[in-house]
Amino acid sequence: MRKRVLKRWQLVGAIIFFATLITSPVFSQQVVAKGVVKTNDGQVLPGATVMVKGTMVGTATTADGQFEIKAQYGDTLQVSFMGYITEEVPVTGVFAEVTLNEETITMADVVVIGYGVVKKSDLTGSVSNIKVDALKTIPANSIDGLLQGRSAGLQVIQSSDDPGSSATVRVRGGSSIYGSNAPLLVVDGFPMGDAGNLKQINPSDIETTQILKDASASAIYGSRGANGVIVITTKKAKDGTTRVSFKQQTTISQFSSKLNIWRNPVLMAQLNNEDRINAGYEPLFVGETYSNGVYYPSVEEIASGEWPYYTEWDKVVFRDKPVSNNTTLSINSGNEKTSFNLSVNYFDDKGVYIKDNYKKGIVNLGVNHKVFDFLTINTSNIISKGFRNYNSGLAYYRNPLWPVYNADGTYFLAGDTDYTHPLALTNLVKNQTNSMDFISMWQADVKLSSTLTLKSQLNYKYGTYVNDKYYPKKYTETGVNNNGAASIGNWLGQDIVSETYLTWDKKLGEIHKFTAMAGFSYNTSMSRSSSLSAYDFVNESTGNENMASGNPEKNELSNSYAESTLVSFLGRINYSLRDKYLMTFTMRSDGSTKFGENNKWALFPSGAISWKAHEEEFIKEMNIFDELKFRLSYGISGNQGISPYQTLSRYGIEEYYTNGTWVTAIGPGYVSGYTGDDYRFRVWSGIPNEDLRWETTAQTDFGVDMAFLKNRLQVTFDVYVKNTYDLLRQTLLPPSSGYDVMWVNDGEIQNKGFEFTLTGDIIHGNDYDFSATLIYSRNRNKVVGLGDEISSGLNTDVLTGMKYKFWGSTLSTFSAYPNLLAIGQPVNVIYGYKVDGIIQSEGEGLAAGLTGDLAQPGEFKYLDISGDGEFSDDDRAIIGDPNPDFIMSLSLNGRYKNFEAEIFLNGVFGNDIIYQNRWGGQANTMPLRWTQDNPNNDYPSLRQNRKYYFSDWYVKDGSYVRIQNVSLAYNFKSEKVKWLNELKLFVNAANLYTFTKFKGYDPEVGTNGIYWGGYPKLRRWTLGLDVTF
Amino acid sequence: MKAKIFSTILIFGLLVTSCDLSEEPYGFYSEANFYKTAEDAEVSLLYAYNTLNFIEYSRAIFYIGELASETCDVKSGEAYGSQDLNDWKADANNETLTMYFKYCYIGINRANAVIDNVENSTFNDDAKKKLIGEAHFLRAYHYFNLVRVFGLVPIQKHMVKTVAQTSPAMAENLTEIYDLISSDLKIAERFLDVNRVVGRADKVAAQAFLAKSYLTIASSIESGVPGYTEMNKEAEIMYDSAAYYADKVLNDQTEYALDTDLLHIYDINAPDGPEHIFIMSMDRTGDSEGEYSKIGMMFHPWVAGTPYYIKNTDGTLTYATYGWEVYKTTTAFYDSYSDIDKRKSDLLVTEVYNANGDVVGKLGTNFTYAFPRKYVDPEFVGQKSSARPYLMRFSEVALIYAEAAGPTTQGYYWLNEIRERAGLGEADPNLGQADFRNAVVQERAWELAFEGQRLFDLRRKAIVTTTDPKAQAAGITEAEAAYYPIPQLEIDLNPNVSGK
Repeated sequence: MRKRVLKRWQLVGAIIFFATLITSPVFSQQVVAKGVVKTNDGQVLPGATVMVKGTMVGTATTADGQFEIKAQYGDTLQVSFMGYITEEVPVTGVFAEVTLNEETITMADVVVIGYGVVKKSDLTGSVSNIKVDALKTIPANSIDGLLQGRSAGLQVIQSSDDPGSSATVRVRGGSSIYGSNAPLLVVDGFPMGDAGNLKQINPSDIETTQILKDASASAIYGSRGANGVIVITTKKAKDGTTRVSFKQQTTISQFSSKLNIWRNPVLMAQLNNEDRINAGYEPLFVGETYSNGVYYPSVEEIASGEWPYYTEWDKVVFRDKPVSNNTTLSINSGNEKTSFNLSVNYFDDKGVYIKDNYKKGIVNLGVNHKVFDFLTINTSNIISKGFRNYNSGLAYYRNPLWPVYNADGTYFLAGDTDYTHPLALTNLVKNQTNSMDFISMWQADVKLSSTLTLKSQLNYKYGTYVNDKYYPKKYTETGVNNNGAASIGNWLGQDIVSETYLTWDKKLGEIHKFTAMAGFSYNTSMSRSSSLSAYDFVNESTGNENMASGNPEKNELSNSYAESTLVSFLGRINYSLRDKYLMTFTMRSDGSTKFGENNKWALFPSGAISWKAHEEEFIKEMNIFDELKFRLSYGISGNQGISPYQTLSRYGIEEYYTNGTWVTAIGPGYVSGYTGDDYRFRVWSGIPNEDLRWETTAQTDFGVDMAFLKNRLQVTFDVYVKNTYDLLRQTLLPPSSGYDVMWVNDGEIQNKGFEFTLTGDIIHGNDYDFSATLIYSRNRNKVVGLGDEISSGLNTDVLTGMKYKFWGSTLSTFSAYPNLLAIGQPVNVIYGYKVDGIIQSEGEGLAAGLTGDLAQPGEFKYLDISGDGEFSDDDRAIIGDPNPDFIMSLSLNGRYKNFEAEIFLNGVFGNDIIYQNRWGGQANTMPLRWTQDNPNNDYPSLRQNRKYYFSDWYVKDGSYVRIQNVSLAYNFKSEKVKWLNELKLFVNAANLYTFTKFKGYDPEVGTNGIYWGGYPKLRRWTLGLDVTF
Repeated sequence: MKAKIFSTILIFGLLVTSCDLSEEPYGFYSEANFYKTAEDAEVSLLYAYNTLNFIEYSRAIFYIGELASETCDVKSGEAYGSQDLNDWKADANNETLTMYFKYCYIGINRANAVIDNVENSTFNDDAKKKLIGEAHFLRAYHYFNLVRVFGLVPIQKHMVKTVAQTSPAMAENLTEIYDLISSDLKIAERFLDVNRVVGRADKVAAQAFLAKSYLTIASSIESGVPGYTEMNKEAEIMYDSAAYYADKVLNDQTEYALDTDLLHIYDINAPDGPEHIFIMSMDRTGDSEGEYSKIGMMFHPWVAGTPYYIKNTDGTLTYATYGWEVYKTTTAFYDSYSDIDKRKSDLLVTEVYNANGDVVGKLGTNFTYAFPRKYVDPEFVGQKSSARPYLMRFSEVALIYAEAAGPTTQGYYWLNEIRERAGLGEADPNLGQADFRNAVVQERAWELAFEGQRLFDLRRKAIVTTTDPKAQAAGITEAEAAYYPIPQLEIDLNPNVSGK
């Protein structure tokens, strides 16, 4: 009698598990069983596990595949090896030759869903499986941006090319106004938060990526599932031979379109003068010193060459060809008991602006240890360290007539308030961030019986960053106003997730198959920050390195802390009847500290049914479908839009000057924001709402999966309707309450859409392969309700009666909000005036109902759409929608012998862009101005003091099709060089060409459609090498 | 197998015990962790005072009190509903009025918080009296502002802690509001000592505002102002009460007195001068407007967009910021001063200088109106200054007394004190009661000009339409001019108001 009691594993105060197992082998009639284990192609298999069935007695095969094990006659030996089907052989006393066949179910056939895996063919929900291999030739800081166009129902926007920039990710449209719209990212079972910038995980360490789209799939994540879930599985250590791989990617970037800057300074000066004269101002370029103390040369001086300066600022500001490097070295090794993987990554991303840099190093160590036959421990530890030096946004559009330096070598400034000298900012401003992230994941799998397994996970994530800033006394506005300004900002955050769940797998004959899962999760998050600022430096040579050298009276301190806990119970039942009818029910109950006192617990159920019609005889007889599966699901998931402490009463802190000194004053009500023109009015909050709760999304999905022609043509389509209600919003309170707003739950948004994926394995040969994938997604978003009209402060459109409120960001050119939340319209719909060309004569202007300056020739002809004879606020209407009609992508993959190629096209159709920089000093449009001599109907005259009204003149179609990626790879495969497992050379061109009518730098803008200018999209050329020994 | 089940149950058991989801405030103050000590209550009282300083409230003193009178016109293009206030077209959606209304209630809520929490506390009696006294003063101050601007308003007597409390009921009538004001001020008067602290109120301030509120009732009844005439009060008794409390200020204390030096009253470095019974507390070292003041910039002309100097009576120069000329003295009001009135010659500026004493700006040439030098901070930093609104001056109490007492010896005495300081001769000694009172009101216009008082004098004397040409041009009646409408937002959101 032997009894083994496992140790109790206790880590960081959380219980992982207990398990006890009793085994009682019988000792009688012992023999030594001998044998050899081979693969089906005749190779000997070292490291295979040989166990006496029903006991703990086991061994591993030697290097030549041999084994010896003590057993008794009649015993059964179990021979197993990762990736092979386990064989059983009886102990007979003769030398056994065991052949193991490779397991045909590979990772690609299994889909990782929340808290478990399921065979792809048994999926009942809408889950996209993204082929990550195709993405790995594209260097990236994180996987998020690479997912663009790779899944139906997934919208990814990468509007910045700055180093380390993040992406906007949406699954089936946005469903929240004040809460997050980003899907939840789950890495190896660890919920990491909003998708967008998973910088801690090296993309090449990722094995699979799944998108959980419908409620049946995402509701298991309860109050965080409403925006969909992206489930990422990283590469795990595998037993078997040792592998060392090395991956190198070198990228050269260039602008994909021309810069919009002045190359003709004479024209620039002439037009600037015209712009000012038409406004009744003195022209600048007249060869005189202006009131800012700067001499502006006359047009003649510039034209004659008398003015000696001409600076091509783009050459000063931009790197010629920024080169970035991404290097990964990994080792993967193991035996039957223990295996590990170690991966080291160094990513060096050079921005297009000089000294605009991002560097990151990641070390990832994973260990997998089979403690006992029934117990496996898995851990993965990632340390990621990043450094960002911010130097983006430099003024490449600076006046080319200004020299870089004065005669004495100092920086030339155009007056005291010139805060845009690029070199002064580059060399004297400090703005950098050092970050460090640590992720540690521990997992235990306990096989309690042949049908019951227990999985326990403890996840820990810790992140921190320090931001250092210094703005010098000269050259920067902040620095000038404060006589030098220094700051240090600190942030740290921590997440602890402990989850344990039991999975029960039971087959009752050939008819019924059950999988049931039940578990709980405990998740606590903390974040804290502090900031120190010092101003007024006598000597600024130490920058922010010695903050005590600032004027102590001007020091500023601030800090904050937030903590929240989420406790959940969850469960799922999968039932399969005759392998034809599949059913899934999930349930999650979430309790959160963030929710109001009266609504601490939320319940999120879902259900799905699926019919594998291709298993029916009558379908089989048709001989058309290899797969024909119908799926229908409905479920409820949530969104925790609430911040911690938002449901509590909160007092404010102010300063009151009394008795010659500032005294801290504290009392009810605090300033939660600012409103009104130039944000001068405070918004008072602080009344507790004990009813505050999550936002709820109910989603119905119907999908069909089809496969034809021996699975070579696969079609999946889904239709869905997502209704999100209980939207968080701030309700207005009566002014006599002494408060402005309070958070409440009402309001509703609907997203409905259609998704379609077509995959064709078109040619499949020895030397040639060709396949293609077409993905189409269409989402229609609509604001259904915004709560009570009065208390949510809605306006009414005079012409249509539409209820709306402005929201988002204001555009300074127009002092107006371009985007609306409007009942019956998509979120962010664009609202403004309408323009019908340019006024050619005053008579035309007056006839159009315009008066004064607005009626003059050369002005925009604003339309009096209300027909009341005057141009007013009433003449605004919906003039655009930044949400695309549909998005589509096409990937073409080919192979010829050892060459592989991919062409990936991504397109966005029917979205409108707010092209706010279409006019106003722009080098490309200013010369096209209206003049008396050259009247036109496209551009207004130059008049610097014109008041601009936001109109459809600034709204342009943003449809585009981009050749997102073209990659070509060559695989060296040689039978002779045994030690070389893989050698792959590749080139990749990202953003090769964009087909669009949009005239700005690039049509890929944020979800609100606002184009901010910036710089042209980068075309990136990558040369890469993958070697595996 | 038992062990397995046991272990599983244990895991679940452990979890259930860790299900405490209550949330404790961290890093901020809240009902849960505040008002524990007298020091807490003291800083919450300062929080209540600080309401006065917010620009939504402090700028409205002038947007309402001056622009809606004959003294000032507004710069064209100035926003926040100021054009409509100036032109007597302000409606229930007027931004400044809505803000003013709200900030009165923010102040009331903060004062109520002090009262509610201190009354039931175990702090020592001296501390309690002072806290409660000042809080009652502040509550009365805000209600007095509300009733003079809007007339009937909702009454909020307790701190708003729950959603249910956010919709207070309307006052039944003006009597209810004024009874609350006088009872609050009497509590303040009883509980507080004479104790001057710049930016805070004491016993004398309570007495002064008692006098002012009684005078408002008295003269409004006398002038037939709607709402007041329905009050169950006798005008003469109200005048007597005003005179009674004004007399206490004038004669029963020694801390405050008339400042003999006219310019010294407006020396922003002397907020503790003899005149200042209640003055707002602002300082140029503050971080945001409200903590510091930009009032000077609102009154001063642009000239060249750079600071200039103002000449003092002794020939010295005082540095002053340039301004945005938002509140522009009307020519008619400027001309209403006698030329020998020092409040014209010394306090209304018509020429500005550079450091050498050369004229760099002149009325009619470089700027269009004579601007007051009541808000000049020679030590301004950028746009920051310490120029403070004057909320109660001893001079005003003198004039309140004179108006309330009528043409008595004492009444004449205090009126003439003010006139003589301004370099004017004595008032006509043979005035009848009504003429005397009108003369005092006119004297107030000159003495308290640009201090945010004029509109309320015009209203209580029912002379808005006869005095402000803009009101006349707007074609409104005196009854319409007596109050602004309650903000539409309040009517829409508060069922207890819309139901009225």
